Amino acid sequence: MSDDDERGEEYLFKIVIIGDSAVGKSNLLTRYARNEFNPNSKATIGVEFQTQSMVIDGKEVKAQIWDTAGQERFRAVTSAYYRGAVGALVVYDITRSSTFENVGRWLDELNTHSDTTVAKMLIGNKCDLESIRAVSVEEGKSLAESEGLFFMETSALDSTNVKTAFEMVIREIYSNMSRKQLNSDSYKEELSSNRVSLVKNDNEGTKTFSCCSR
Amino acid sequence: MICCGYMWKSGGEDLQGFYPVRSEYVADVPRTRFKSRAGKTLSARRWHAAFTEDGNLDMERVLRRIQRGGIHPSIKGEVWEFLLGGYDPDSTFEERNILRNHRREQYYAWKEECRRMVPLIGSGKFVTMAVVAEDGQPLEESSVENQGWLVKTAITDKRLLQWMLVLSQIGLDVVRTDRYLSFYENESNQARLWDILSIYTWLNPDIGYVQGMNDICSPMIILLEDEADAFWCFERAMRRLRENFRTTATSMGVQTQLGMLSQVIKTVDPRLHQHLEDLDGGEYLFAIRMLMVLFRREFSFLDALYLWELMWAMEYNPNLFASYEKPENRNNFSQQDPRLLKKYGKFERKYVKSGHNEQHNTLAVFVVASVLETKNKRLLKEAKGLDDVVQILGDIAGNLDARKACKEALKIHEKFLKKANRQ
Repeated sequence: MSDDDERGEEYLFKIVIIGDSAVGKSNLLTRYARNEFNPNSKATIGVEFQTQSMVIDGKEVKAQIWDTAGQERFRAVTSAYYRGAVGALVVYDITRSSTFENVGRWLDELNTHSDTTVAKMLIGNKCDLESIRAVSVEEGKSLAESEGLFFMETSALDSTNVKTAFEMVIREIYSNMSRKQLNSDSYKEELSSNRVSLVKNDNEGTKTFSCCSR
Repeated sequence: MICCGYMWKSGGEDLQGFYPVRSEYVADVPRTRFKSRAGKTLSARRWHAAFTEDGNLDMERVLRRIQRGGIHPSIKGEVWEFLLGGYDPDSTFEERNILRNHRREQYYAWKEECRRMVPLIGSGKFVTMAVVAEDGQPLEESSVENQGWLVKTAITDKRLLQWMLVLSQIGLDVVRTDRYLSFYENESNQARLWDILSIYTWLNPDIGYVQGMNDICSPMIILLEDEADAFWCFERAMRRLRENFRTTATSMGVQTQLGMLSQVIKTVDPRLHQHLEDLDGGEYLFAIRMLMVLFRREFSFLDALYLWELMWAMEYNPNLFASYEKPENRNNFSQQDPRLLKKYGKFERKYVKSGHNEQHNTLAVFVVASVLETKNKRLLKEAKGLDDVVQILGDIAGNLDARKACKEALKIHEKFLKKANRQ
């Protein structure tokens, strides 16, 4: 290992947030990246992104998180941004079951356009709206288990689990990166062009967390 | 609600008062730069003076003003109707009244047609949840929140089903359209936006509803009191923009404009184009939003309207009205009388002069190019990835000057035409 690797290590992970329209993707991201929630946030047109850093094992790990338009008709252009993503958050709205039923489509979409994602998390957002819940925690959990995803219920509004969810995905990506890959020249090359790609790890475990389990 | 202090001789008119912002969001909206400027902005007085007794409008004079300083908020709606080719400036008051009444009747007939299919249309209420299952079957009542109306018998007609399925998407966008404006605190105004978008979608199944159309439609409802007039103004704006919203499984219409943008940058600033291409941004996807919602997100509400009217004035073509009303005669418009040149907007005139009167680039593409050019140095120096490009362009929100952007756009256009002709 050269000196270069010792001091200049820098991690940059590309993560995408996908899911149906108005499930709260943009607000999850602004809650995580800026600790803000905007009740008047507008529909995302095309793609936007934010970066946020965290420290793991004393190293700074930067996540570049891409937020996409939810309407199906934007997929032709938004899917271009899946390329090179190593993490993905697939979001649904716990008060609208149709958004949960569409999760499978989003996963297909992700698998078609990106073969590099090592960490995927299913997120049931708006768990502050318990009184009008339409998707139970168990339904979310069991879908996540069958698809091999992490699972968590969040609320961008009251912050529940938002940081935890993002950080779990980031940690998972980090721990999935073998030293060998990190030190390979091709990896460094890709890192320098902001596109970290990793081979998919087959034996990922499924862990589930929920904010509102009763 | 409308503030009408005519104080502009002292230069302190509160134009934002025309589009009040909810007090709790004042801090969140970008600062408005537009100012009504005496001798430059088209004022109500100037506007009314531009009509003859019969109602013929001196469009040349009006265009000159608008291109210099925009339109005063008190008359925006009625001027836009002309700018967008809704009415013929060479017609009389009487002729236009007849046409207006005819259009209103037409709109309300369409609305009635839609209401018979979905009684929520025109009810003052709207939906954000599905009214029918994706396969056309009725939804189980128990599975849905009570929202007033649901499909009772299975829908088999494909067009009808497609339309019904998108109504909730329109609703989801309506509740987050310009919510910071006091205007949309009123639920009946939200319902009007939903009605117009729904009716437009029914009438245009080839385009349907795509997110972003709400951003285009919203100002029309605020500027034009009559719902039918607002619909027609939106319909005319969409004539220019609709191709951007045409989508297939593998493409979006706006990519055509992105391709033009790519051509323009490649021609006028090859170095920047190469740099973007090296960053895998040669498709210019990062400019999608600017083109689809015409800079609504980069400008304050009033400044976006100002930019739109500048662009539309510069793109004005005296044959616009006729080309919409009698599209079969479209080919007759190519032969131009040079004396008519002054009746064109600055941008359009260039094409007529150079004889390129066939399908051509829209000014919006050059406005995006001008924005990229103002960031040229930073993009070349600091952008090491597509993310940096998005970031650098993200910083422009609230920092753009509509007039400067249009001025620069015209310069780039000129440069582009020269270089393109040489090649």
